[in-house]
Amino acid sequence: MASILPGAPQEGIGYSFSQAAPNAASEPRQHSFYPYSDNGGTSLGISGTDFTIMAADTRNVSGYSINTRYSPRLYLIGGEGPENKGARIVLSVVGFTADGSALKERLDNIVKMYKYHHGKPMSVSACAQRLSHLLYSKRFFPFYVSAILGGLDEEGKGALYSYDYVGSYEREQCRSAGAASSLIMPFLDNQVNFKNQYQPGSGTGHNLQAVVAEPLPRERVTQLVRDAFTSAVERHIEVGDGLQMMIITKDGVQEKYVELKKD
Amino acid sequence: MFIARSEYDRGINTFSPEGRLFQVEYSLEAIKLGSTAIGVSTSEGVILGVEKRVTSTLLETSSVEKIVEIDRHIGCAMSGLQADARSMVEHARVQSQNHAFHYNEPLRVESCTQAICDLALRFGEGADGEESIMSRPFGVALLIAGYDEDGPSLYHAEPSGTFYRYDAKAIGSGSEGAQAELQNEFHKSLTLPEAEQLVLKTLKQVMEEKLDSKNVQLASVTKDKGFRIYSDEEMAEVVSRLPTN
Amino acid sequence: MNHFPETWGRPRDDVYGPYNHGYLQAPAPNQHTQSPIVTGTSVVAIKFKDGVVIATDNLASYGSLARFTDVKRLRKFNERTVIGFGGDISDMQHLDRLLNSLSIKENYQHDATDEEDTDGFSADNVHTYLSKVMYARRTKFDPLWNHMLVAGLDSDDEPFLASVDLLGTTFSSPSLATGYGAHLAQPIMRKVVPDEDAVDQVTEEQAVKVIKECMKVLFYRDARSLDNYSIAVIKKEGVNLKLDEKLENQSWQFAERIRGYGTQVN
Repeated sequence: MASILPGAPQEGIGYSFSQAAPNAASEPRQHSFYPYSDNGGTSLGISGTDFTIMAADTRNVSGYSINTRYSPRLYLIGGEGPENKGARIVLSVVGFTADGSALKERLDNIVKMYKYHHGKPMSVSACAQRLSHLLYSKRFFPFYVSAILGGLDEEGKGALYSYDYVGSYEREQCRSAGAASSLIMPFLDNQVNFKNQYQPGSGTGHNLQAVVAEPLPRERVTQLVRDAFTSAVERHIEVGDGLQMMIITKDGVQEKYVELKKD
Repeated sequence: MFIARSEYDRGINTFSPEGRLFQVEYSLEAIKLGSTAIGVSTSEGVILGVEKRVTSTLLETSSVEKIVEIDRHIGCAMSGLQADARSMVEHARVQSQNHAFHYNEPLRVESCTQAICDLALRFGEGADGEESIMSRPFGVALLIAGYDEDGPSLYHAEPSGTFYRYDAKAIGSGSEGAQAELQNEFHKSLTLPEAEQLVLKTLKQVMEEKLDSKNVQLASVTKDKGFRIYSDEEMAEVVSRLPTN
Repeated sequence: MNHFPETWGRPRDDVYGPYNHGYLQAPAPNQHTQSPIVTGTSVVAIKFKDGVVIATDNLASYGSLARFTDVKRLRKFNERTVIGFGGDISDMQHLDRLLNSLSIKENYQHDATDEEDTDGFSADNVHTYLSKVMYARRTKFDPLWNHMLVAGLDSDDEPFLASVDLLGTTFSSPSLATGYGAHLAQPIMRKVVPDEDAVDQVTEEQAVKVIKECMKVLFYRDARSLDNYSIAVIKKEGVNLKLDEKLENQSWQFAERIRGYGTQVN
């Protein structure tokens, strides 16, 4: 909207990334083109012993406007045909949706071509490395997306990789990205990795004994994901409408959708 | 027939009326002039062996390099025009490193072989409109040995761009006799030392010179050690185990 | 005759006036569109159970000047696709040319007028095409300054409605509006179709009614709008495109109460 009308005041609540679109009126007045926007949204991934859960809300915004209440942020990567039948890798992208879907299409192409070239489906670790290069290949005109890649590793354990805009990546137990990541991540640290949890009665100060983190069962993780999002919706205006979840197990990818508050 | 040949064997991109590419067929002849190379695949790994043609007593035999490394888990033996093999091996090495760089995993042996064979017909334009990079087909055949997630494997790549997987394969001037010998002697339960002996025994039969530890070269590809060229001491040891007759 | 060599061979100043050095200068480098010049305002569209209704007004503004008052901003692509353009008009005309060549190529293979021949482009194909064009141009830092809605039927003859803008951003919803319409019309339409399930309950008449209501609200409140508009209904039976409609049942009674608007001057 603001981009179509020249001189219209820049609406919106600011960008999640630090560089805002130029809007200062200078002499001579120049309305230069800014090739990015922030479409909000939050994603989350948690890996377990034999599963990985990926989740993201489906609200798509431009400033204060809701573009749509249902735009999926989780994509199946690989498999067969446009429906990605049999795919075992899930990519979530939040940030600028046009870059997000461009990135997803590139990665999907690569993973499908890989199967033709090498006669085997691509492993998550290979896919993770390739995605890193894909992001870095646009180091000087980056894809403005926070990506999370989920699947099962060669041993059948849950695998989760998170990325920054230019391809730095890391394998983790859990990660939240996007608009409300700063709200969800500390919750996850506490509830998944048991940060700041101590054995009751173990004493004070140095005597305190930390609760040892152990892999959580699927039901527990699913409930954590839903709780994380219902809470994020309350505190962040760019998050809401619907929650899309994909659960990756050795039997395939199961997709779930639950409603979130639409206010 | 002979007239048809002389009409159609100059253009490398021209089929003869019978549907043949003579220059490609001739390139297969070039390999039959090359030194013999043998590969034997076992459940423990693959053995490659070549004869070094020591044409002069003044020749430094260690400079005859007919088995080379492509990656830590892939090696290859060649027969034919060695200079041609260098550019193929170089291509395979780049592909292998690229794959590891992009995908954080070793390149599969079959994919490596395919990458080499993709080069073989690049005397014409490439499939994606790449310019032709050679004036003629390669004059060399390769035995590509490797170890990947599916275990050990041995491939034979030809100048025509076709490749097949073999349990045991001989190429070069002595290939006909050697292949017959391998056919008789090969069995699935060969151990690695037995395969060493089979390769040497077969080479010995087809070589013109008398086999010794200087005029043959062995290499192995195994799960633990990857690709490895045998040192002079190891060669001497293996050759000494050969039954004398 | 002037004796300075640099003036030889040039038109005489005393006869033709001083030489204008502004002509024949080295041309400035080609500039990418940095801002839109002549613009169209909102596009509004809503799905109903058998198809989609889409509308734009017929105004092309030059800044705040209502410059061209008979510009059609709805474009029929084929019997199941209509595109509504907001934003720069010359970029719209460029896209129109792209779409023309696309449909000419397409019509060699498929007869767009033949209702039996449904193998040709459906609305979702056109939308994908446009999104790739727009994203490629933004990536070249040479955007087409438009925000478009693509309305029609997909390959399963289900109602299809999606948006693409100058950044290549795409999304789809039961009702969509660009520009001011996103603020003024979208809330009205969302009352009718809050979600995809509600679409099945909406008739064509209801959809047309709510679109006309939206056009009216936009004319009341959007200073860059007009009461002449185009409206299209896309159904299985084909496209019903009306390019010269007039807003009906306007009521400016409220203006009476606005200071400085009606009779009340001070």
